[in-house]
Amino acid sequence: MSATTLHPASGPAKDLRVAAALGRRRRATTTVIKVACYAATAIGLLLLLSILGTLVWNGGSAISLRVFTDVTKPPGSDGGLLNPIIGSLIQTSIGTLIGTPIGLLVGTYLAEYAKSSPLANAVRFVSDILLSAPSILIGLFVYQSLVVPMGGFSGWAGCAALAIIVIPVVVRTTEDMLRLLPDTLREAVIALGAPKWKMITLVCWRAAASGIVTGVLLAVARVAGETAPLLFTSLGNLNWSLSLGAPMSSLPITIYSYAGSPYPDWIALAWAGALIITLGVLGLNIVARSLLRGRK
Amino acid sequence: MGDSMTKANASAAPQQAGLHARSNAALNEPRIAVRGLDFFYGSNKALKNLDFDLPERQVTGMIGPSGCGKSTLLRVLNRMYSLYPGQRATGQVLMDGQNILDDSTDINALRSRIGMVFQKPTPFPMTIYENIAFGIRLHEKLSKSQMDERVEWALTRAAIWGEVKDRLNSSAMGLSGGQQQRLCIARTIAVRPEVILLDEPTSALDPISTLRIEELIDELKRDFTIAIVTHNMQQAARCADQVAFFYLGELVEVAPAEQMFTAPKQKRTQEYITGRFG
Repeated sequence: MSATTLHPASGPAKDLRVAAALGRRRRATTTVIKVACYAATAIGLLLLLSILGTLVWNGGSAISLRVFTDVTKPPGSDGGLLNPIIGSLIQTSIGTLIGTPIGLLVGTYLAEYAKSSPLANAVRFVSDILLSAPSILIGLFVYQSLVVPMGGFSGWAGCAALAIIVIPVVVRTTEDMLRLLPDTLREAVIALGAPKWKMITLVCWRAAASGIVTGVLLAVARVAGETAPLLFTSLGNLNWSLSLGAPMSSLPITIYSYAGSPYPDWIALAWAGALIITLGVLGLNIVARSLLRGRK
Repeated sequence: MGDSMTKANASAAPQQAGLHARSNAALNEPRIAVRGLDFFYGSNKALKNLDFDLPERQVTGMIGPSGCGKSTLLRVLNRMYSLYPGQRATGQVLMDGQNILDDSTDINALRSRIGMVFQKPTPFPMTIYENIAFGIRLHEKLSKSQMDERVEWALTRAAIWGEVKDRLNSSAMGLSGGQQQRLCIARTIAVRPEVILLDEPTSALDPISTLRIEELIDELKRDFTIAIVTHNMQQAARCADQVAFFYLGELVEVAPAEQMFTAPKQKRTQEYITGRFG
Protein backbone atom coordinates (compact mmCIF):
# COMPACT_ATOMS: atom_id res chain seq x y z
CA MET A 1 0.00 0.00 0.00
CA SER A 2 2.60 2.53 1.11
CA ALA A 3 4.99 1.41 -1.61
CA THR A 4 2.48 2.12 -4.35
CA THR A 5 1.64 5.56 -2.99
CA LEU A 6 5.29 6.62 -2.66
CA HIS A 7 6.41 5.28 -6.04
CA PRO A 8 3.51 5.28 -8.43
CA ALA A 9 4.32 2.92 -11.22
CA SER A 10 3.26 5.40 -13.88
CA GLY A 11 5.40 8.45 -12.93
CA PRO A 12 9.19 8.99 -13.09
CA ALA A 13 11.09 8.49 -9.82
CA LYS A 14 11.78 11.58 -7.69
CA ASP A 15 15.41 12.84 -7.69
CA LEU A 16 16.14 13.29 -4.00
CA ARG A 17 19.22 15.49 -4.56
CA VAL A 18 17.25 17.98 -6.65
CA ALA A 19 14.53 18.00 -3.99
CA ALA A 20 17.08 18.71 -1.25
CA ALA A 21 18.69 21.56 -3.23
CA LEU A 22 15.27 23.12 -3.88
CA GLY A 23 14.50 22.80 -0.19
CA ARG A 24 17.70 24.66 0.76
CA ARG A 25 16.87 27.45 -1.66
CA ARG A 26 13.36 27.70 -0.29
CA ARG A 27 14.66 28.00 3.26
CA ALA A 28 17.20 30.66 2.25
CA THR A 29 14.50 32.70 0.49
CA THR A 30 12.32 32.40 3.55
CA THR A 31 15.10 33.79 5.74
CA VAL A 32 15.82 36.71 3.42
CA ILE A 33 12.15 37.69 3.14
CA LYS A 34 11.67 37.33 6.87
CA VAL A 35 14.65 39.56 7.69
CA ALA A 36 13.46 42.18 5.17
CA CYS A 37 9.99 42.21 6.74
CA TYR A 38 11.34 42.54 10.25
CA ALA A 39 13.71 45.34 9.19
CA ALA A 40 10.94 47.30 7.47
CA THR A 41 8.70 46.91 10.51
CA ALA A 42 11.50 48.06 12.79
CA ILE A 43 12.13 51.17 10.70
CA GLY A 44 8.44 52.05 10.72
CA LEU A 45 8.10 51.51 14.45
CA LEU A 46 11.29 53.46 15.20
CA LEU A 47 10.07 56.46 13.21
CA LEU A 48 6.70 56.37 14.91
CA LEU A 49 8.21 55.98 18.36
CA SER A 50 10.70 58.80 17.79
CA ILE A 51 7.86 61.09 16.67
CA LEU A 52 5.72 60.14 19.66
CA GLY A 53 8.74 60.30 21.98
CA THR A 54 9.75 63.79 20.85
CA LEU A 55 6.16 64.90 21.10
CA VAL A 56 5.65 63.54 24.61
CA TRP A 57 9.05 64.89 25.72
CA ASN A 58 8.56 68.42 24.41
CA GLY A 59 4.80 68.60 24.76
CA GLY A 60 4.70 66.98 28.18
CA SER A 61 7.08 69.53 29.64
CA ALA A 62 5.03 72.39 28.14
CA ILE A 63 1.63 71.15 29.34
CA SER A 64 0.20 72.68 32.46
CA LEU A 65 -3.21 73.64 33.74
CA ARG A 66 -2.66 77.11 32.28
CA VAL A 67 -2.73 75.64 28.76
CA PHE A 68 -6.34 74.62 29.28
CA THR A 69 -7.54 77.67 31.23
CA ASP A 70 -5.90 80.67 29.56
CA VAL A 71 -6.53 82.09 26.13
CA THR A 72 -3.78 82.79 23.64
CA LYS A 73 -1.77 85.87 24.58
CA PRO A 74 1.12 87.83 23.08
CA PRO A 75 4.53 86.17 23.43
CA GLY A 76 6.08 86.41 26.86
CA SER A 77 2.82 86.88 28.76
CA ASP A 78 1.99 83.31 29.85
CA GLY A 79 -0.86 82.52 27.46
CA GLY A 80 -2.69 79.22 27.09
CA LEU A 81 -4.58 77.38 24.37
CA LEU A 82 -8.15 77.67 25.62
CA ASN A 83 -9.55 79.37 22.51
CA PRO A 84 -7.88 76.98 20.03
CA ILE A 85 -9.05 73.97 22.05
CA ILE A 86 -12.64 75.22 22.25
CA GLY A 87 -12.54 76.37 18.62
CA SER A 88 -11.36 72.94 17.49
CA LEU A 89 -14.02 71.21 19.58
CA ILE A 90 -16.76 73.44 18.14
CA GLN A 91 -15.69 73.14 14.51
CA THR A 92 -15.02 69.41 14.72
CA SER A 93 -18.38 68.77 16.42
CA ILE A 94 -20.43 70.87 14.02
CA GLY A 95 -18.54 69.55 11.01
CA THR A 96 -19.22 66.00 12.17
CA LEU A 97 -22.87 66.75 12.94
CA ILE A 98 -23.37 68.12 9.43
CA GLY A 99 -21.28 65.54 7.59
CA THR A 100 -22.45 62.38 9.37
CA PRO A 101 -26.16 62.38 8.40
CA ILE A 102 -25.29 63.22 4.79
CA GLY A 103 -22.64 60.50 4.67
CA LEU A 104 -24.96 58.00 6.38
CA LEU A 105 -27.76 58.62 3.89
CA VAL A 106 -25.46 58.49 0.87
CA GLY A 107 -23.86 55.25 2.13
CA THR A 108 -27.33 53.80 2.73
CA TYR A 109 -28.42 54.86 -0.74
CA LEU A 110 -25.41 53.10 -2.25
CA ALA A 111 -25.77 49.88 -0.25
CA GLU A 112 -29.54 49.49 -0.07
CA TYR A 113 -31.02 51.25 -3.08
CA ALA A 114 -28.64 51.95 -5.93
CA LYS A 115 -26.36 48.91 -5.48
CA SER A 116 -24.43 48.68 -8.78
CA SER A 117 -26.40 51.01 -11.00
CA PRO A 118 -24.40 53.49 -13.12
CA LEU A 119 -25.43 56.36 -10.83
CA ALA A 120 -24.22 54.42 -7.78
CA ASN A 121 -20.89 53.73 -9.42
CA ALA A 122 -20.52 57.41 -10.27
CA VAL A 123 -21.36 58.45 -6.70
CA ARG A 124 -18.97 55.85 -5.31
CA PHE A 125 -16.21 57.09 -7.63
CA VAL A 126 -16.72 60.74 -6.67
CA SER A 127 -16.84 59.83 -3.00
CA ASP A 128 -13.59 57.89 -3.27
CA ILE A 129 -11.91 60.81 -5.02
CA LEU A 130 -13.16 63.14 -2.30
CA LEU A 131 -11.77 60.73 0.29
CA SER A 132 -8.27 61.09 -1.10
CA ALA A 133 -8.46 64.68 -2.35
CA PRO A 134 -5.81 67.00 -0.86
CA SER A 135 -7.61 68.75 1.97
CA ILE A 136 -6.25 72.15 0.93
CA LEU A 137 -8.42 71.87 -2.19
CA ILE A 138 -11.46 71.48 0.01
CA GLY A 139 -10.36 74.57 1.93
CA LEU A 140 -10.04 76.53 -1.31
CA PHE A 141 -13.42 75.27 -2.51
CA VAL A 142 -15.13 76.48 0.66
CA TYR A 143 -13.19 79.75 0.41
CA GLN A 144 -14.64 80.33 -3.04
CA SER A 145 -18.15 79.12 -2.28
CA LEU A 146 -18.66 80.44 1.28
CA VAL A 147 -15.93 82.79 2.48
CA VAL A 148 -15.95 85.10 -0.55
CA PRO A 149 -19.77 85.39 -0.81
CA MET A 150 -20.12 85.85 2.98
CA GLY A 151 -17.49 88.56 2.90
CA GLY A 152 -15.01 87.08 5.36
CA PHE A 153 -13.50 84.14 7.20
CA SER A 154 -15.82 82.45 9.68
CA GLY A 155 -16.25 79.48 11.98
CA TRP A 156 -19.14 78.32 9.78
CA ALA A 157 -16.85 78.10 6.79
CA GLY A 158 -14.42 76.00 8.85
CA CYS A 159 -17.28 73.69 9.90
CA ALA A 160 -18.37 73.34 6.28
CA ALA A 161 -14.87 72.41 5.13
CA LEU A 162 -14.56 69.78 7.87
CA ALA A 163 -18.04 68.43 7.05
CA ILE A 164 -16.97 67.90 3.45
CA ILE A 165 -14.05 65.82 4.70
CA VAL A 166 -16.29 63.81 7.04
CA ILE A 167 -18.82 62.89 4.32
CA PRO A 168 -16.77 60.47 2.17
CA VAL A 169 -15.34 58.68 5.23
CA VAL A 170 -18.84 58.04 6.58
CA VAL A 171 -20.17 57.12 3.11
CA ARG A 172 -17.53 54.46 2.72
CA THR A 173 -17.86 52.88 6.16
CA THR A 174 -21.66 52.98 6.06
CA GLU A 175 -21.76 51.27 2.70
CA ASP A 176 -19.15 48.70 3.68
CA MET A 177 -20.86 47.87 6.95
CA LEU A 178 -24.30 47.57 5.38
CA ARG A 179 -22.92 45.34 2.65
CA LEU A 180 -21.52 42.99 5.26
CA LEU A 181 -25.05 42.20 6.42
CA PRO A 182 -26.42 38.99 4.92
CA ASP A 183 -29.32 39.36 2.50
CA THR A 184 -31.22 36.76 4.51
CA LEU A 185 -31.47 39.30 7.33
CA ARG A 186 -33.08 41.78 4.94
CA GLU A 187 -35.40 39.13 3.54
CA ALA A 188 -36.39 38.11 7.06
CA VAL A 189 -37.51 41.66 7.80
CA ILE A 190 -39.31 41.96 4.47
CA ALA A 191 -40.99 38.56 5.03
CA LEU A 192 -42.72 39.98 8.11
CA GLY A 193 -44.38 42.55 5.89
CA ALA A 194 -42.09 45.47 6.69
CA PRO A 195 -41.63 48.27 4.17
CA LYS A 196 -38.08 48.79 3.01
CA TRP A 197 -37.47 52.01 4.92
CA LYS A 198 -38.34 50.27 8.18
CA MET A 199 -36.05 47.40 7.27
CA ILE A 200 -33.21 49.88 6.82
CA THR A 201 -33.79 52.17 9.78
CA LEU A 202 -34.93 49.62 12.36
CA VAL A 203 -32.82 46.59 11.51
CA CYS A 204 -29.99 47.24 9.04
CA TRP A 205 -28.74 50.42 10.70
CA ARG A 206 -28.93 48.76 14.06
CA ALA A 207 -27.09 45.66 12.88
CA ALA A 208 -24.36 47.82 11.36
CA ALA A 209 -24.36 50.43 14.14
CA SER A 210 -21.03 49.69 15.78
CA GLY A 211 -19.26 49.68 12.42
CA ILE A 212 -20.87 52.94 11.38
CA VAL A 213 -20.05 54.59 14.71
CA THR A 214 -16.47 53.44 14.27
CA GLY A 215 -16.37 55.13 10.87
CA VAL A 216 -17.72 58.34 12.35
CA LEU A 217 -15.11 58.28 15.13
CA LEU A 218 -12.34 57.76 12.59
CA ALA A 219 -13.72 60.69 10.60
CA VAL A 220 -13.70 62.84 13.76
CA ALA A 221 -10.12 61.79 14.43
CA ARG A 222 -9.19 62.77 10.91
CA VAL A 223 -10.79 66.22 10.85
CA ALA A 224 -9.61 67.08 14.36
CA GLY A 225 -6.07 67.28 13.02
CA GLU A 226 -6.82 68.99 9.70
CA THR A 227 -5.02 72.28 9.15
CA ALA A 228 -5.19 73.03 5.45
CA PRO A 229 -8.98 73.24 5.07
CA LEU A 230 -9.15 75.69 7.99
CA LEU A 231 -6.45 78.02 6.66
CA PHE A 232 -8.79 79.51 4.06
CA THR A 233 -12.01 79.18 6.00
CA SER A 234 -11.98 79.84 9.74
CA LEU A 235 -8.46 81.36 9.48
CA GLY A 236 -7.67 81.30 13.18
CA ASN A 237 -8.28 83.87 15.85
CA LEU A 238 -5.89 84.93 18.60
CA ASN A 239 -8.69 86.51 20.60
CA TRP A 240 -11.37 84.76 22.61
CA SER A 241 -14.40 84.31 20.34
CA LEU A 242 -17.23 81.83 20.29
CA SER A 243 -18.97 83.45 17.33
CA LEU A 244 -19.27 81.15 14.35
CA GLY A 245 -19.76 84.21 12.17
CA ALA A 246 -16.24 85.45 12.93
CA PRO A 247 -12.82 83.88 12.31
CA MET A 248 -12.36 81.05 14.77
CA SER A 249 -9.29 79.64 16.44
CA SER A 250 -8.32 75.99 16.13
CA LEU A 251 -5.51 73.81 17.45
CA PRO A 252 -3.91 72.81 14.13
CA ILE A 253 -3.79 76.41 12.89
CA THR A 254 -2.39 77.65 16.21
CA ILE A 255 0.25 74.94 16.18
CA TYR A 256 1.11 75.94 12.63
CA SER A 257 1.55 79.62 13.44
CA TYR A 258 3.13 79.18 16.90
CA ALA A 259 5.63 76.54 15.80
CA GLY A 260 6.89 78.90 13.11
CA SER A 261 7.27 81.84 15.50
CA PRO A 262 10.60 82.92 17.03
CA TYR A 263 9.25 82.98 20.63
CA PRO A 264 10.22 80.04 22.89
CA ASP A 265 7.00 80.16 24.96
CA TRP A 266 4.85 80.04 21.80
CA ILE A 267 6.91 77.14 20.47
CA ALA A 268 6.40 75.32 23.77
CA LEU A 269 2.64 75.93 23.49
CA ALA A 270 2.71 74.52 19.94
CA TRP A 271 4.27 71.33 21.34
CA ALA A 272 1.59 71.19 24.04
CA GLY A 273 -1.16 71.63 21.43
CA ALA A 274 0.34 68.92 19.22
CA LEU A 275 0.38 66.53 22.17
CA ILE A 276 -3.24 67.32 23.03
CA ILE A 277 -4.41 66.62 19.47
CA THR A 278 -2.37 63.45 19.22
CA LEU A 279 -3.70 62.07 22.49
CA GLY A 280 -7.25 62.99 21.47
CA VAL A 281 -6.96 61.26 18.11
CA LEU A 282 -5.24 58.27 19.70
CA GLY A 283 -8.05 58.01 22.25
CA LEU A 284 -10.71 58.16 19.53
CA ASN A 285 -8.92 55.47 17.54
CA ILE A 286 -8.73 53.21 20.56
CA VAL A 287 -12.44 53.68 21.25
CA ALA A 288 -13.24 53.04 17.57
CA ARG A 289 -11.17 49.88 17.48
CA SER A 290 -12.61 48.46 20.66
CA LEU A 291 -16.11 49.13 19.30
CA LEU A 292 -15.26 47.24 16.14
CA ARG A 293 -13.83 44.36 18.12
CA GLY A 294 -16.91 44.26 20.34
CA ARG A 295 -19.00 43.74 17.21
CA LYS A 296 -17.49 40.35 16.43
CA MET B 1 -28.51 18.39 27.18
CA GLY B 2 -29.40 15.11 28.89
CA ASP B 3 -32.87 16.44 29.45
CA SER B 4 -33.51 17.25 25.83
CA MET B 5 -32.08 13.86 24.89
CA THR B 6 -34.80 12.02 26.85
CA LYS B 7 -37.43 14.30 25.39
CA ALA B 8 -36.17 13.47 21.94
CA ASN B 9 -36.42 9.74 22.56
CA ALA B 10 -39.80 10.00 24.18
CA SER B 11 -41.28 11.85 21.25
CA ALA B 12 -40.06 9.48 18.56
CA ALA B 13 -42.92 7.01 19.00
CA PRO B 14 -45.88 9.44 18.71
CA GLN B 15 -44.21 10.94 15.65
CA GLN B 16 -44.39 7.65 13.77
CA ALA B 17 -47.90 6.98 14.98
CA GLY B 18 -48.85 10.43 13.72
CA LEU B 19 -47.55 9.67 10.25
CA HIS B 20 -49.60 6.53 10.09
CA ALA B 21 -52.80 8.10 11.31
CA ARG B 22 -52.42 11.05 8.99
CA SER B 23 -51.70 9.23 5.78
CA ASN B 24 -55.22 7.89 5.35
CA ALA B 25 -56.87 11.24 5.94
CA ALA B 26 -58.05 13.06 2.85
CA LEU B 27 -56.38 16.35 1.94
CA ASN B 28 -58.24 19.51 2.85
CA GLU B 29 -59.47 22.28 0.56
CA PRO B 30 -56.64 24.36 -0.89
CA ARG B 31 -55.66 27.50 1.05
CA ILE B 32 -53.47 28.61 -1.81
CA ALA B 33 -53.96 27.42 -5.38
CA VAL B 34 -51.19 27.84 -7.93
CA ARG B 35 -52.36 27.77 -11.55
CA GLY B 36 -50.19 27.88 -14.65
CA LEU B 37 -47.27 29.51 -12.85
CA ASP B 38 -44.13 30.36 -14.79
CA PHE B 39 -41.16 32.01 -13.13
CA PHE B 40 -38.14 33.68 -14.64
CA TYR B 41 -34.72 34.69 -13.36
CA GLY B 42 -33.96 37.15 -16.12
CA SER B 43 -34.49 35.07 -19.25
CA ASN B 44 -33.96 31.76 -17.45
CA LYS B 45 -37.23 29.95 -16.86
CA ALA B 46 -37.05 28.40 -13.41
CA LEU B 47 -40.64 27.22 -12.94
CA LYS B 48 -42.64 25.74 -15.78
CA ASN B 49 -46.41 25.87 -15.85
CA LEU B 50 -47.03 24.73 -12.27
CA ASP B 51 -50.41 23.69 -10.95
CA PHE B 52 -50.25 23.09 -7.25
CA ASP B 53 -52.36 23.34 -4.09
CA LEU B 54 -51.49 23.98 -0.48
CA PRO B 55 -54.25 22.23 1.48
CA GLU B 56 -55.64 24.23 4.38
CA ARG B 57 -54.14 23.48 7.79
CA GLN B 58 -51.95 20.70 6.53
CA VAL B 59 -48.27 20.39 5.87
CA THR B 60 -47.01 20.25 2.32
CA GLY B 61 -43.47 18.92 1.93
CA MET B 62 -41.56 20.09 -1.12
CA ILE B 63 -38.69 17.89 -2.21
CA GLY B 64 -36.35 17.68 -5.16
CA PRO B 65 -32.68 18.09 -6.02
CA SER B 66 -30.95 21.49 -5.62
CA GLY B 67 -32.01 23.97 -8.28
CA CYS B 68 -35.30 22.20 -8.99
CA GLY B 69 -37.35 25.28 -8.14
CA LYS B 70 -38.86 24.38 -4.77
CA SER B 71 -37.35 27.37 -2.92
CA THR B 72 -38.23 29.55 -5.90
CA LEU B 73 -41.86 28.50 -5.56
CA LEU B 74 -41.83 29.43 -1.85
CA ARG B 75 -40.44 32.85 -2.73
CA VAL B 76 -43.23 33.35 -5.24
CA LEU B 77 -45.89 32.58 -2.63
CA ASN B 78 -44.93 35.57 -0.44
CA ARG B 79 -43.75 37.70 -3.37
CA MET B 80 -40.20 37.74 -1.96
CA TYR B 81 -38.94 37.69 -5.55
CA SER B 82 -40.37 41.19 -6.04
CA LEU B 83 -37.33 42.50 -4.16
CA TYR B 84 -35.16 41.62 -7.13
CA PRO B 85 -35.74 43.50 -10.38
CA GLY B 86 -34.67 40.70 -12.74
CA GLN B 87 -37.18 38.19 -11.37
CA ARG B 88 -40.78 37.84 -12.50
CA ALA B 89 -43.68 35.44 -12.28
CA THR B 90 -46.64 34.91 -14.59
CA GLY B 91 -49.76 32.84 -14.06
CA GLN B 92 -51.94 32.73 -10.99
CA VAL B 93 -51.41 32.21 -7.30
CA LEU B 94 -54.88 32.32 -5.80
CA MET B 95 -55.63 33.02 -2.17
CA ASP B 96 -59.28 33.73 -1.33
CA GLY B 97 -59.94 34.07 -5.04
CA GLN B 98 -57.38 36.86 -5.35
CA ASN B 99 -54.35 36.50 -7.61
CA ILE B 100 -51.47 37.60 -5.37
CA LEU B 101 -49.23 38.10 -8.39
CA ASP B 102 -51.36 41.11 -9.41
CA ASP B 103 -49.60 44.44 -9.22
CA SER B 104 -52.50 45.73 -7.11
CA THR B 105 -51.67 43.31 -4.27
CA ASP B 106 -50.65 45.02 -1.04
CA ILE B 107 -47.39 43.12 -0.64
CA ASN B 108 -46.82 44.05 3.00
CA ALA B 109 -50.32 42.94 3.97
CA LEU B 110 -49.83 39.76 1.95
CA ARG B 111 -46.62 39.00 3.83
CA SER B 112 -48.41 39.43 7.12
CA ARG B 113 -50.76 36.64 5.97
CA ILE B 114 -48.00 34.44 4.55
CA GLY B 115 -45.02 34.24 6.88
CA MET B 116 -41.63 32.77 6.09
CA VAL B 117 -38.81 31.12 8.04
CA PHE B 118 -35.42 30.79 6.45
CA GLN B 119 -32.70 28.19 6.26
CA LYS B 120 -30.34 30.06 8.54
CA PRO B 121 -31.77 31.55 11.73
CA THR B 122 -32.12 35.31 11.24
CA PRO B 123 -32.52 36.91 14.67
CA PHE B 124 -32.61 40.71 14.54
CA PRO B 125 -29.95 42.59 16.51
CA MET B 126 -32.27 43.43 19.39
CA THR B 127 -33.71 41.80 22.48
CA ILE B 128 -35.74 38.60 22.37
CA TYR B 129 -38.88 40.55 23.26
CA GLU B 130 -38.22 43.18 20.59
CA ASN B 131 -37.65 40.48 17.98
CA ILE B 132 -41.18 39.22 18.49
CA ALA B 133 -42.77 42.64 18.97
CA PHE B 134 -41.14 43.96 15.79
CA GLY B 135 -43.41 42.10 13.40
CA ILE B 136 -46.53 42.74 15.45
CA ARG B 137 -45.91 46.50 15.53
CA LEU B 138 -45.75 46.56 11.74
CA HIS B 139 -49.39 45.56 11.46
CA GLU B 140 -51.13 46.23 14.77
CA LYS B 141 -51.28 48.81 17.54
CA LEU B 142 -51.33 46.98 20.84
CA SER B 143 -51.17 48.23 24.41
CA LYS B 144 -48.20 47.21 26.51
CA SER B 145 -50.13 44.45 28.26
CA GLN B 146 -51.65 43.16 25.02
CA MET B 147 -48.18 43.13 23.50
CA ASP B 148 -46.74 41.23 26.47
CA GLU B 149 -49.54 38.71 26.11
CA ARG B 150 -49.00 38.29 22.38
CA VAL B 151 -45.24 37.91 22.77
CA GLU B 152 -45.75 35.22 25.40
CA TRP B 153 -48.34 33.50 23.22
CA ALA B 154 -46.01 33.43 20.20
CA LEU B 155 -43.02 32.22 22.19
CA THR B 156 -45.17 29.54 23.82
CA ARG B 157 -46.53 28.36 20.47
CA ALA B 158 -42.98 28.13 19.18
CA ALA B 159 -42.02 25.99 22.19
CA ILE B 160 -39.31 28.37 23.40
CA TRP B 161 -41.11 30.37 26.12
CA GLY B 162 -39.73 28.26 28.97
CA GLU B 163 -36.16 28.78 27.81
CA VAL B 164 -36.34 32.54 27.32
CA LYS B 165 -39.00 33.84 29.73
CA ASP B 166 -36.36 34.96 32.24
CA ARG B 167 -34.24 36.77 29.67
CA LEU B 168 -36.68 38.48 27.34
CA ASN B 169 -34.62 41.65 27.56
CA SER B 170 -31.30 40.12 26.62
CA SER B 171 -30.06 40.03 23.04
CA ALA B 172 -31.45 37.38 20.73
CA MET B 173 -27.98 36.96 19.26
CA GLY B 174 -26.93 35.07 22.40
CA LEU B 175 -29.35 32.18 21.80
CA SER B 176 -28.20 28.86 20.36
CA GLY B 177 -28.89 28.11 16.69
CA GLY B 178 -31.89 25.90 17.48
CA GLN B 179 -33.32 28.49 19.87
CA GLN B 180 -32.77 31.23 17.30
CA GLN B 181 -34.71 29.24 14.72
CA ARG B 182 -37.63 28.71 17.12
CA LEU B 183 -37.46 32.43 17.91
CA CYS B 184 -37.78 33.13 14.19
CA ILE B 185 -40.79 30.81 14.02
CA ALA B 186 -42.27 32.65 17.03
CA ARG B 187 -41.64 35.96 15.29
CA THR B 188 -43.45 34.70 12.21
CA ILE B 189 -46.50 33.35 14.03
CA ALA B 190 -46.68 36.45 16.26
CA VAL B 191 -48.00 38.31 13.22
CA ARG B 192 -50.73 35.62 13.07
CA PRO B 193 -50.34 34.62 9.44
CA GLU B 194 -52.56 32.04 7.77
CA VAL B 195 -49.75 30.34 5.89
CA ILE B 196 -46.19 29.63 7.02
CA LEU B 197 -43.45 28.93 4.49
CA LEU B 198 -40.43 27.07 5.84
CA ASP B 199 -37.35 27.08 3.62
CA GLU B 200 -35.16 24.20 4.83
CA PRO B 201 -35.71 25.35 8.41
CA THR B 202 -33.59 22.65 10.01
CA SER B 203 -30.69 22.25 7.59
CA ALA B 204 -28.41 24.42 9.77
CA LEU B 205 -29.45 22.70 13.02
CA ASP B 206 -28.33 19.68 15.03
CA PRO B 207 -30.55 16.57 15.17
CA ILE B 208 -32.17 17.42 18.50
CA SER B 209 -33.05 20.97 17.49
CA THR B 210 -34.34 19.52 14.22
CA LEU B 211 -36.61 17.16 16.10
CA ARG B 212 -38.00 19.97 18.22
CA ILE B 213 -38.79 22.01 15.11
CA GLU B 214 -40.48 19.01 13.52
CA GLU B 215 -42.63 18.49 16.62
CA LEU B 216 -43.44 22.15 16.48
CA ILE B 217 -44.53 21.93 12.83
CA ASP B 218 -46.85 19.09 13.77
CA GLU B 219 -48.34 21.22 16.51
CA LEU B 220 -48.65 24.38 14.40
CA LYS B 221 -50.60 22.81 11.56
CA ARG B 222 -53.71 22.79 13.74
CA ASP B 223 -53.88 26.53 13.07
CA PHE B 224 -51.66 27.25 10.11
CA THR B 225 -51.25 26.06 6.55
CA ILE B 226 -47.62 25.06 6.19
CA ALA B 227 -45.26 24.52 3.27
CA ILE B 228 -41.83 23.13 4.02
CA VAL B 229 -38.93 22.80 1.60
CA THR B 230 -36.55 20.07 2.66
CA HIS B 231 -33.68 18.01 1.35
CA ASN B 232 -34.35 15.40 3.96
CA MET B 233 -36.67 12.66 2.75
CA GLN B 234 -37.26 11.38 6.28
CA GLN B 235 -38.24 14.86 7.36
CA ALA B 236 -40.76 15.10 4.55
CA ALA B 237 -42.13 11.69 5.53
CA ARG B 238 -42.32 12.66 9.21
CA CYS B 239 -43.86 16.11 8.82
CA ALA B 240 -45.89 16.29 5.66
CA ASP B 241 -49.46 15.36 4.83
CA GLN B 242 -48.84 16.00 1.17
CA VAL B 243 -45.52 15.80 -0.64
CA ALA B 244 -44.60 17.42 -3.93
CA PHE B 245 -41.58 16.37 -5.98
CA PHE B 246 -40.00 18.98 -8.22
CA TYR B 247 -37.43 18.42 -10.90
CA LEU B 248 -35.89 20.98 -13.27
CA GLY B 249 -38.61 23.52 -12.60
CA GLU B 250 -41.48 21.11 -13.10
CA LEU B 251 -43.83 19.55 -10.61
CA VAL B 252 -43.28 15.86 -11.32
CA GLU B 253 -45.69 14.43 -8.79
CA VAL B 254 -47.78 15.50 -5.84
CA ALA B 255 -49.50 13.01 -3.56
CA PRO B 256 -50.42 12.29 0.05
CA ALA B 257 -47.22 11.57 1.97
CA GLU B 258 -47.64 7.85 2.46
CA GLN B 259 -48.54 7.20 -1.14
CA MET B 260 -45.59 9.33 -2.27
CA PHE B 261 -43.09 7.34 -0.26
CA THR B 262 -44.59 3.87 -0.71
CA ALA B 263 -46.09 3.91 -4.18
CA PRO B 264 -44.93 6.88 -6.26
CA LYS B 265 -46.48 6.95 -9.71
CA GLN B 266 -43.58 8.49 -11.57
CA LYS B 267 -40.32 6.69 -12.22
CA ARG B 268 -38.28 9.87 -11.55
CA THR B 269 -39.94 10.31 -8.16
CA GLN B 270 -39.09 6.77 -7.20
CA GLU B 271 -35.49 7.19 -8.33
CA TYR B 272 -35.14 10.39 -6.32
CA ILE B 273 -36.66 9.18 -3.08
CA THR B 274 -34.65 6.00 -3.17
CA GLY B 275 -31.50 8.08 -3.61
CA ARG B 276 -30.64 7.04 -7.14
CA PHE B 277 -30.05 10.64 -8.26
CA GLY B 278 -30.22 14.20 -6.97
